Amino acid sequence: MTSAGSSGASVTELASKLYEQCLNNYPPDQLFYQHDLLGLGIVPKSDLALLLQCTQSLVDQKLFRLLQGKNDRLAWKIISREDAEKLKNLSPDESLVYNVIHSTGRSGIWVRAIGTRTGLHKSILDRCLKSLEGKNYIKSVHNVKFPSRKMYMLAGLAPSEDVTGGAWFTDGVLDENFINTVAGYIEYTVSRKSWFEAPSVDVHRSKRMKTNDGSASVKQETSQKTYIPFPAGYRGYPTVSMLTNAVNESGITPVRLGEQSITQLLDMLCYDNKLVALSNGEMYKSVKNPEAVKQSQARKPAGEDKGIDDRLVTNGMTEAPCGSCPVFKLCAPGGAVSPESCEYFDPWLEKALGF
Amino acid sequence: MTSQYAGELCTLLVEDNFGELFARIFSTLVHYDRLSFSRLKFYSRLSNSQLRHGLAAMVQQHLIYHYTSYDDGITYYEPNMQSAYYLVRSGKILEFIEHRLGKYAATVMSTIMFLGHAQVGYLETLPALKPANSDMNGASEDSGEKQIAEEYQGEEAHQETEDQPNGLNGNHAPSVYPTLLHPTLKALAGHGYILRVRDAQFQSYTDNALDAERSIKLRPDIKALKGKKLEDAVMEGTLELLKERLDGDLTRGLMFNGVPRGAKRRHATGAADAPSKKAQVDYAAVDEDEDGEDENEWSDDEFGEDTIPMETGITIRINYEKLDVALRNRRFLELAERDSSPETAEVYDCLLRRIEYQTGKCRDTTQIPREGEEGEQYSVPISLRAVVEDVDLLLDLAGSVGPMEIFQPVHRHGKRPLEESVNGIGHDGPNGVQSDGNRTYEVDQHLCLLAQPPYNLTSKRMVSGLITWTVEFRHLARKLRHLELERIIEARYGDVALRVVRVLHDKGKLDEKRLQEISLLPFKDLRQVLATMQTGGFVDLQEVPRDAQRQPSRTIFLWFYDPDRVCNSVLEDAYKAMSRCLQRLLFERNRLKEFLEKTERSDVKGNEERYLSEAELTLLEQWRAKEALLLGEVARLDEMVAVMRDY
Repeated sequence: MTSAGSSGASVTELASKLYEQCLNNYPPDQLFYQHDLLGLGIVPKSDLALLLQCTQSLVDQKLFRLLQGKNDRLAWKIISREDAEKLKNLSPDESLVYNVIHSTGRSGIWVRAIGTRTGLHKSILDRCLKSLEGKNYIKSVHNVKFPSRKMYMLAGLAPSEDVTGGAWFTDGVLDENFINTVAGYIEYTVSRKSWFEAPSVDVHRSKRMKTNDGSASVKQETSQKTYIPFPAGYRGYPTVSMLTNAVNESGITPVRLGEQSITQLLDMLCYDNKLVALSNGEMYKSVKNPEAVKQSQARKPAGEDKGIDDRLVTNGMTEAPCGSCPVFKLCAPGGAVSPESCEYFDPWLEKALGF
Repeated sequence: MTSQYAGELCTLLVEDNFGELFARIFSTLVHYDRLSFSRLKFYSRLSNSQLRHGLAAMVQQHLIYHYTSYDDGITYYEPNMQSAYYLVRSGKILEFIEHRLGKYAATVMSTIMFLGHAQVGYLETLPALKPANSDMNGASEDSGEKQIAEEYQGEEAHQETEDQPNGLNGNHAPSVYPTLLHPTLKALAGHGYILRVRDAQFQSYTDNALDAERSIKLRPDIKALKGKKLEDAVMEGTLELLKERLDGDLTRGLMFNGVPRGAKRRHATGAADAPSKKAQVDYAAVDEDEDGEDENEWSDDEFGEDTIPMETGITIRINYEKLDVALRNRRFLELAERDSSPETAEVYDCLLRRIEYQTGKCRDTTQIPREGEEGEQYSVPISLRAVVEDVDLLLDLAGSVGPMEIFQPVHRHGKRPLEESVNGIGHDGPNGVQSDGNRTYEVDQHLCLLAQPPYNLTSKRMVSGLITWTVEFRHLARKLRHLELERIIEARYGDVALRVVRVLHDKGKLDEKRLQEISLLPFKDLRQVLATMQTGGFVDLQEVPRDAQRQPSRTIFLWFYDPDRVCNSVLEDAYKAMSRCLQRLLFERNRLKEFLEKTERSDVKGNEERYLSEAELTLLEQWRAKEALLLGEVARLDEMVAVMRDY
């Protein structure tokens, strides 16, 4: 009898010792196998039955989480005392749901997936989720990839990039304004560093006078700044990390943007024909000089009438009335739509000739 | 280029240039392709004599091929779409020649164009090209030169006189240019713009190839071969024979160190059309006299003193292939001008010109190869020295490239005076000693700039230790093609679409999600833009089912953009748009028919002010503007066609 009583006491004692040891000696997400626990030397004589009792009692106290390790072996992970406190107050169904949500970590889990994994009835599941959410243990997240799915993850976790879609999404929606602001800022920054501002005339003039009659500075006498390109192989173009720092310090972004996000944006700007990547994306160079960039950016919010020079130069097809004719495919001489009866030519001629 | 719209366009061009008879024959041939005389007569419903006259004249104009079969002795006729199409490019070519070689050369060129092909002896007899005061050889030269210069400045709006040897240009010719014909022809030949007519050129390429193959197979040494070896030998022999038979190259003996004789001379005259540059020409001339050792040998063989005339027996025609090369180079230059400083563009011009002299045609294959299946093909390497020689000595090269470092002002101060001195000497005049090393370095710098992405307009090569520069033509031609397509896409679907297309082009096939991640566009916009572009045929969707059932939910949808496919359809559209413009022009002309007939009356023509009322004069002006606009549009479309088909 005493043996039973003592064994009961010793199991709890041993179990708490075991827990302390694990907590102190290992990182919090260490996976413990049977031999790891035996190796701690707390369970006398490597008594397997006793170890099993200990771990079971810890699992019951929510201090251990039972997992299935490699090769279907049993394994455990420790749970901190606070979390265990939380879990103790949960109903069995709730803790089941909690565990499932916990297992998916930062990527979150779809409600239907929780249902299939726990096997709970929908109404019970809904109740569990509601109560867990009420206790602020879990939160619902919005996934960019599946905007219609309801997903949950633990309240304390930040959703991963996959879920949010990266820095460019706000509440799962692409934040166009934000992107445009940052893109404009980057373009201008890059542009400032990728053109050499020719020295202003008066500084230059005095020097020039000594050597020649000044005929060479005719070009520079225009009041506007002149920008000239750097020679090939110039290493002063901005890099991704430089730009990331510049953006983060500029205060236009509420959150810190990572280099990855900036690279994404830089790629986009390259596809927009605004920047050019040099030596495999190591450095970036702008196509337009700072003045031109300023002008085109000033024009954009002004209204719909975007200047022609902002675009690629037009070609024959885009100028001709046929290029934008909606019924071009049907057009045939003598047909219902024909060059003779075309209603686009006359306005076009008038517009071009001005009479 | 056999398609409905190409055929339509070519027929229109033939009709516009040569009238109804030609058009009737040509359109019949376009419809039925290869026809014997009797069938042609049956289909075209023309009388015997009409048809015979028409065919003979069309053969002269290279508008049709003819071939007399060995088997049945029947002659077959075939339309020559290519040369019919080139009618539309004539204006552009003449303008180019005028810019490059002067007005008289353009007149000669347009005469040859008008005649299709011509014997040199016949050209001599033409009043339009005939020098009136041929006895004033050397003496008149100076005044002639001056007049040329004056004319260059005086002419503001030079009008294109397509296929009209007796047009505006002709009026000046006799009085101003003494015995210019032969040197001009030689210059044209040296540049490769004209070539000798060979018999084989009157037959289509396929006929020629078959013919050549037949004669190769009859050779005893070939007969002895068997199997694969035989095939190879026949193939090789055929190509060789074809080359020999079609070859009309006239540049031999007229090139000097890779430059046509007299090219430099005229280059200087050509530069005189910009008044600001006029002073420089003088310097250049003095320079040449002083230090150009190799130039002395031919710098004085000017128009009047060239004693060896062209052989009068040679029959010549326009070499369109070569002119395509020249026009393509002009496009590349425009590309460079857009993003680089004028100085850089000028250096590029010099390089391109050197390359042009040695490039016969735009590409070796008849068809533009598919995207990604095209190998790299570099032009002839031009040594840096040659480019440096060609670059205008007064061009401020140093001032248009920034310094290597800007963060260390000390360094900059140290460097500046050095550059100054280079400039200074350059500007001091012809007597200043040009520091060659620096000049070379600067030209190299500019060429390096051009080699930068995104266009990579040049590329550097080391040939036996010497720096040479080449141009990767296929890559650039592809770039031009893409640029044209991108322009259309941007104009039609906006800049968002442009971004999407560029992403798709770069990455290949993408599903919607990935596409969104890269292009950073909201789903709604993205889908909309993709859908409209799909309707327009610019992008397309590929379905990849994940199981055999092909359910939409279990299928991956990938968007893709195939430039080849788009190019082909846009090319057809361009043909169609061109013919629409021409048809509209005809229609507009018919609307004003009576009035225009009045203006073209022999007594009214030239004396419009006297015979026409105020209102009629404005009407005439409007009509001319309208005509110019429509023809200009056709020319612009042709530029696109050139990019997509010829370059």
